[in-house]
Amino acid sequence: MASAANANLNAVRETMDVLLEISRLLNTGLDMESLSICVRLCEQGINPEALSAVIKELRRASESFKASENCTN
Amino acid sequence: MASLDQKSPNVLLQSLCCRITGKSEAEVAHQFQYAVRVIGSNYAPTIERDEFLVSEKIKKELLKQRREGDAALFSELHRKLQTQGVLKHRWSVLYLLLSLSEDPRKPSSRVGNYGALFAQALPRDAHSTPFYCTRPQSLALSYADRNAGLSGSVGTSGISSLGVYTLNGPTPTPQALLASQSSAGATQPLGSRLAWALPVSSSPSSALAPPTSRPPLGPAVLSSRLVRPRRDGDAADEVSEAALVRDILYVFQGIDGKFIKMNAQENGYKMDSKVVLCRSLRDTSSRLAELGWLHNKVRKYTDARSLDRAFGLVGQVSRRCLVVFFTPVHLLMLTCVFPQSFCASLHQELKEYYRLLSVLHSQLQVEDEQGVTICTESSLTLRRLLVWMYDPKVRLKTLAALVDFCQGRKGGELASAVHAYGKTGDPQMRALIQHILSLVSHPILSFLYRWIYDGELEDTYHEFFVASDPNVKTDRLWHDKYSLRKSMIPSFITMDQARKVLLIGKSINFLHQVCHDRTPPGKITPASKPADTPKDAAELLSDLEGAFQEKIDSAYFDTSKYLLDVLNRNYLLLEHLQAMRRYLLLGQGDFIRHLMDLLKPELARPATTLYQHNLTGILETAVRATNAQFDNAEILKRLDVRLLEVSPGDTGWDVFSLDYHVDGPIATVFTRECMGHYLRVFNFLWRAKRMEYTLTDIWKGQMCNAKLLKTMPELSGVLHQCHILASEMVHFIHQMQYYITFEVLECSWDELWNKVQQAQDLDHIIAAHDVFLDTIISRCLLDNNSRSLLNQLRAIFDQIIEFQSAQDALYRSALEELTLRLQFEERKRQREEEGQWGVTAEQEAEERRRIQEFQDTIPKMRSQLRILTHFYQSIVQQFLVLLMTSSDESLRFLSFRLDFNEHYRFVCRSKETR
Repeated sequence: MASAANANLNAVRETMDVLLEISRLLNTGLDMESLSICVRLCEQGINPEALSAVIKELRRASESFKASENCTN
Repeated sequence: MASLDQKSPNVLLQSLCCRITGKSEAEVAHQFQYAVRVIGSNYAPTIERDEFLVSEKIKKELLKQRREGDAALFSELHRKLQTQGVLKHRWSVLYLLLSLSEDPRKPSSRVGNYGALFAQALPRDAHSTPFYCTRPQSLALSYADRNAGLSGSVGTSGISSLGVYTLNGPTPTPQALLASQSSAGATQPLGSRLAWALPVSSSPSSALAPPTSRPPLGPAVLSSRLVRPRRDGDAADEVSEAALVRDILYVFQGIDGKFIKMNAQENGYKMDSKVVLCRSLRDTSSRLAELGWLHNKVRKYTDARSLDRAFGLVGQVSRRCLVVFFTPVHLLMLTCVFPQSFCASLHQELKEYYRLLSVLHSQLQVEDEQGVTICTESSLTLRRLLVWMYDPKVRLKTLAALVDFCQGRKGGELASAVHAYGKTGDPQMRALIQHILSLVSHPILSFLYRWIYDGELEDTYHEFFVASDPNVKTDRLWHDKYSLRKSMIPSFITMDQARKVLLIGKSINFLHQVCHDRTPPGKITPASKPADTPKDAAELLSDLEGAFQEKIDSAYFDTSKYLLDVLNRNYLLLEHLQAMRRYLLLGQGDFIRHLMDLLKPELARPATTLYQHNLTGILETAVRATNAQFDNAEILKRLDVRLLEVSPGDTGWDVFSLDYHVDGPIATVFTRECMGHYLRVFNFLWRAKRMEYTLTDIWKGQMCNAKLLKTMPELSGVLHQCHILASEMVHFIHQMQYYITFEVLECSWDELWNKVQQAQDLDHIIAAHDVFLDTIISRCLLDNNSRSLLNQLRAIFDQIIEFQSAQDALYRSALEELTLRLQFEERKRQREEEGQWGVTAEQEAEERRRIQEFQDTIPKMRSQLRILTHFYQSIVQQFLVLLMTSSDESLRFLSFRLDFNEHYRFVCRSKETR
């Protein structure tokens, strides 16, 4: 059991590494944690189109936040 | 991903929001709400979930950014991802990553329409044919083809669109790409570059439709030296169309290809799941693989039947059906007839199919050898195969359905099954089925013709619908030996035709074996040459109503007529029938009367003292003395006397019977049961005749003695009674005789004779004869229903006989008395003549005493007679009651006639009132 779990865990880690590498290649700007959250969401069946739209919106929002903060500062 | 925690999407979304914006949860509430709304409303993706497409897109993007190394790296990573198999929704993840990817060269306009920019970019690439916006004429081709066919990556088509842009500039990218993916690298950079600019010509193994529309780039020369990147060895990469086509061609014949293998559990051809292939290609090849499945099905059936000896007779399979292109020749062993002929027809169809396949294969080979550009119009693509194989597919489908339907059937059943399939509106299918049907029914028809014209039946596997029972001996040949096997009657032969066929063959066999008539069948029926080839069979089948029926009918008429002729001429069937009527049914009146006269003293004796040869001698005498002597000698020699079983107390009357011997073909009509019936009827008729005879005697006696006994007035009362009773009996018997002779015998006989004269075959005669006998038996009260009536009748007959004996006794004593009295008178007169006293006192006293004694016996006689009369009348009454309630009309009429003046009812009433 433990070995199976371990093997599983290894596989998962490897997959995540690969995905991170791809993400870096594609210059998506996702860090490991975000990437893992996204992957989890996708695995649960979320529509990636919608998800990507959301992420972009969030980024925009964060940019606007930063801009407003900068302005105020 | 088993190890990931299964948090709910909301939670995940929340944490994502926090993460990306870098704010705490409370602050991102607004964004979170938006996120939830967006995700909730866009539940299903708008584009197709094709992982392959997405990966290609990614590569393209990378290449667009001139990052070929990265593209290669990505391919590696993608492969790794696939082999790991941890992720389930690889497509989603990849798509997400793709949509989030940013071109580092582009200025990061992170404010404002950041998303809008990307949103615009996406839809263009979101379609399934993103590459063709620059090359409209290439839209004619399938996207899949291009993708598969193009060596190198999808990037080539992208590059072709790029080609416009990059023609000038050095394009090391294609080369690098090529180097990484092709086996023999493109040595000429220029060539390769140009080749990449002309994706059509650059994919030599699948010459794609759009002709090289860039003549200045001179594709032919260059591409011939171009590498043909064979995808075959590259399992992880996409499979080229050429390889697929080759595979498909093998699958068409039922051989497993490299990528498409037979999957036993799902009973179908499945693409190897590891093969990287885009969806449309996969679908097309699946559709084409169906042909392979159908082919296998049909093949399996024909192979199984060829090895199975249990199915049918020796049949000939035409050699020409067996040459097969790709698979080894299966020599069908000469085993069966019907499934064999069915297999033969299937093989013919398969042969056509193989021919087509061979053409395709040769085409492929040509292309392989000579490169692509020679025959760009007619090169093999999956699409082309789809179109070309449509008709064969329909045919194979029909054949496979037919095979399914015909599993396990043989003989006529098989033909019926195939015929049932022909009831379709599709003319092509109908033609196909007709063809198969003609082949399948050819053996049936050959059986049929042999049976009709020769009477021979060689059917080891029980496929024909006429069955012969080998255990039956010659004497039951007509009735029992041949029968119809109903399940094997093909549906295109009606029951009537089948019966006629059976009859014809039966007649021929009957003639040969029972009548010993060896006339060759050719003489019987002017037979046309029976169907030798399947073509004849086909013609016949197309005209079942006309030509076939005609054949059968003519054979039927001729054979039956011949049979009847033989029977009547050589075996005198009709004469025998008439003889039966004359002798066994008492038709020859004078003979019967004379016979009875002669037999009377003999038969009065007890039965045990009778000897057959005595009676036979008497029979001979009777024959010679009457008109019977003029009959045919053949008939007379069959006439005989038979003594029935003797029970104690029988007189000769009870055991006597005539007999008629039958043998040979006549025995078919006059079977043993028939003869038994005849004897019963004879018995009945003979008894009735005897009654008539008896009463005639009585009447004679009465007439003679009436005058004599006039001198004895004391007897007149008794005599009167006798007379009355006698006349009653005479009337009764008279009516009975009338009934029997006219209503029963004559009418039925007339009917029988008419039918026999008009009969067309022996079956009709036999049937008519049986009907005749049944009618007679039921009308003569001999069947089971009329047992009570018969018993009454017997009782009446017994009474008549008793009366006769009583009357005889009466007359005897009366006559004796008369004689004595006369003697007395005579003596008296004599003595007076001699001068003596006429009578002395003692003599007179004696005489008087004697007369008194005599007169004393008279009341006894009278009472005896009265009892007799009473008994007789009651029996007759019961008989009448039974008659009136019988179901037969003629019997009811008989009751009316018997009691026409209601005498019996009167008697009954008077007796009751008394």
